Amino acid sequence: MTTHPISAHGLERSFGTLVAVDGIDLEVEEGEIFGFLGPNGAGKSTTVRMLVTLLKPTGGTASVAGYDVVEQPNMVRRSIGVALQDAAIDPLMTGNELLKLQAILHGLGSREATRRSGELLERVGLTKAGNRRVGTYSGGMRRRLDLALALIHNPSVLFLDEPTTGLDPTSRLSMWEEVRALNKEGTTVFLTTQYLEEADQLAGRIAIIDGGRIVRQGDPAVLKDEVGDPTLRIEIGDSIMLDTAKAVLTTFGEWRPARDGRLAIGLEGGAKRMADVVRSLDAQGVPVAHIELDTPSLDDVFSDATGRRLEGAMVDDEES
Amino acid sequence: MWMTRRNLTRVVRMPSIIIPMAIMPLFFVVAFTGSFSGITEVPGFPTRQVINWVAAYALIQGASFAGLGAAGSMATDLDDGFIDRLLLSPIRRSSILVAPLLYTAIRALIPITIVMVASAMSGAAMPGGVLGVTLAYVAGVGGGVVIGAFGLAVVLRMNDIRAMSVVQTLAFVVMFPSIGQVPLVLLSGWMHWVARINPVTNILRMARQGFLGPVTWADTWPGLLALAIGTVVFGAWAGYELERRNP
Amino acid sequence: MTAAVGLPSTFDGSRHRFRVTLEQGFALAKRSVLSTWRSPAAWVPGLVLPLMIAAVYSAQFAMATQLPQFPPVDSFLQYMLPASVLQSIAFGAGNAGTDLATDIENGFFDRLMASPVARQSVLVGRIMGAAVFSGFESLVLVLVFLAFGAPVKGGVGGVIAIIFIAGLLAIAVGGFGVAVALRTGSPEATQSMFPLTFVFLFMSSAFFPTELMNGWYQQVAQSNFIIDPTRRLVIYGWSWTDLLQAVAVTLAVAAVSLSWSYRMYLRRLEVK
Repeated sequence: MTTHPISAHGLERSFGTLVAVDGIDLEVEEGEIFGFLGPNGAGKSTTVRMLVTLLKPTGGTASVAGYDVVEQPNMVRRSIGVALQDAAIDPLMTGNELLKLQAILHGLGSREATRRSGELLERVGLTKAGNRRVGTYSGGMRRRLDLALALIHNPSVLFLDEPTTGLDPTSRLSMWEEVRALNKEGTTVFLTTQYLEEADQLAGRIAIIDGGRIVRQGDPAVLKDEVGDPTLRIEIGDSIMLDTAKAVLTTFGEWRPARDGRLAIGLEGGAKRMADVVRSLDAQGVPVAHIELDTPSLDDVFSDATGRRLEGAMVDDEES
Repeated sequence: MWMTRRNLTRVVRMPSIIIPMAIMPLFFVVAFTGSFSGITEVPGFPTRQVINWVAAYALIQGASFAGLGAAGSMATDLDDGFIDRLLLSPIRRSSILVAPLLYTAIRALIPITIVMVASAMSGAAMPGGVLGVTLAYVAGVGGGVVIGAFGLAVVLRMNDIRAMSVVQTLAFVVMFPSIGQVPLVLLSGWMHWVARINPVTNILRMARQGFLGPVTWADTWPGLLALAIGTVVFGAWAGYELERRNP
Repeated sequence: MTAAVGLPSTFDGSRHRFRVTLEQGFALAKRSVLSTWRSPAAWVPGLVLPLMIAAVYSAQFAMATQLPQFPPVDSFLQYMLPASVLQSIAFGAGNAGTDLATDIENGFFDRLMASPVARQSVLVGRIMGAAVFSGFESLVLVLVFLAFGAPVKGGVGGVIAIIFIAGLLAIAVGGFGVAVALRTGSPEATQSMFPLTFVFLFMSSAFFPTELMNGWYQQVAQSNFIIDPTRRLVIYGWSWTDLLQAVAVTLAVAAVSLSWSYRMYLRRLEVK
């Protein structure tokens, strides 16, 4: 048995003929924030549901906090905190009541439950709202309560499934602060997100899942370097010149996927070649409407791995 | 017209709508005749066969589900913004209300026919002949449309899917204290008074007369009047609520 | 918070497992009672509609009690008492199902499943919550009937017996609602089961005595072994036989519905 807080080997889940997760391997180190990235339907939620014992794998093995998710599900449940997508909270209960209920469900006595609830309400800044019904909470408050619920039993591993989806920028920042603080105290965090910036900001290491397979895994900085040349995006002012523009650009680097009406290449040699590109286009009489140079981002890592853009594929629908 | 067609298409494509529409009226016939067959033994009850009495009640109740259905569709359409899109389009405002009511009228024919057939099979008489049957249909369709108009008004007013439970409860509350199951002569006290002034009583009388004897104008005009007033008043209210949405 | 602690102190085995399970079931039952109480739309109809039907029917059918075949009652209202209690249970127990389906739909059920709560507590808590609430509603109904002059001949014992039967019946009916909820995971589907309970009610002596029915309908209505003994407690007086009959039949129904819902529960835990 491994000592990693989370590890999976050949983990697999199919629903009928649909293979949602197709044999993935993961090793999450003690005390890190691990970012799990992917578009909707890529298998993120299915993976998380298997790791938190809500779904049985159809193949492979996984262990969390040193316990096998299939053989010792109850030991796993005792060791983990889980905040699932959409912050499922009964709107008719107060924050305080929900925290106490959660504490009792984790086997705490009622006095201990009261003490712990008060502590956590304070921690997530909901002391004043503690006796109000959750139905009156804002989206950010619900997520913070959700986080408090996940922390009720001092878990060593915390699963956060898209903790900031649908939040406004301010609430998102305060959620990030809280996650960093928890991590500093030693909690291992497994974070799924469809926001590249979130993974960039928080995660020490990331894995990108697409079509049920992990397509990249590692330190974000290293992954970005691996993508190589920065991306040059150009929009030309006259579509008649499209072929001419293509002919020019192809001499400067390899084609990259781009949105409609734009051209993108990996610019060999980087920023210092920009002037050459512009001069060549000008010499051929190609009018340039827009030009930009992007050093690799996680989006580029994703598109390098899958041939598609992640941000463009973002929808607010639930992953099924 | 196409809006009515859209609603009809929805019914054909969703068996979950059509099954209760067929089952509920059947159940009314079976339950009212089965449970209360003994009521005719009370001295003064106008008929020996309970089905002759309750068929009209089952018919109005069955038809009222068609009206509730129209209000339900409106609630859904409001919820997903379909109505607002219609309000922004150049179609005639009135058709937003007329279409679902027309659809209610057509849809009401199904439960009414089911009740008529089931009643005939349980031995109901029809001394009123073709005219009696026609008036039963008119009462049923009219009742469905009145409930539909009322439902549309409440749904437009409350702008919430929960309006449906309000509509259902109120429809039930109005239909219940009437001569649905027991004739006026056998009612006493507050119930006699409420049933006498309840317009549902007039509609029931119009629908029922053919089952009990020859059709008379005296049993017909109060029902027609009640239906006309109901349709106009609730229709106007619904129209007002619709106007209010778009200043 | 300390770094990567193993298990919190509560799991050192010092607290008895049975006691923890009991506490969890109780906490979940409390939650289900609280959320029902806080959404009046869920329970007010369960009180108001039966009372309204009772008021209307007892006025409409008052003269029927004079018929020779009608059981000896003080009033039609007295005859209606068990029917009203049963209607209220049909409403309340239906809620147990829809609430659970809502929990499944919005993910609260997942939250429970990802915690180390004893699996049985979730089911038991939900159904016990419904039973407690139904018992309470029945008590209110009986008191209203008493206030309007419909005596329970079985006395205080009879009232307690009715409330006890009501609670058991809520478990039995709630079991079906919960099973459908677990099976479908959809509040709408669970809600649509509700009219079925009315079919059962109508095809019994709930609203009119079987003595005045005939044919196959009478036979069906006579095979309802819960409402008749309950009514005998109301209109004749105390009887152990009637109480035992009602309880035994209710328990049998509960056994069927609970084992079905347990099977659906296991299925949801396995497949999903």
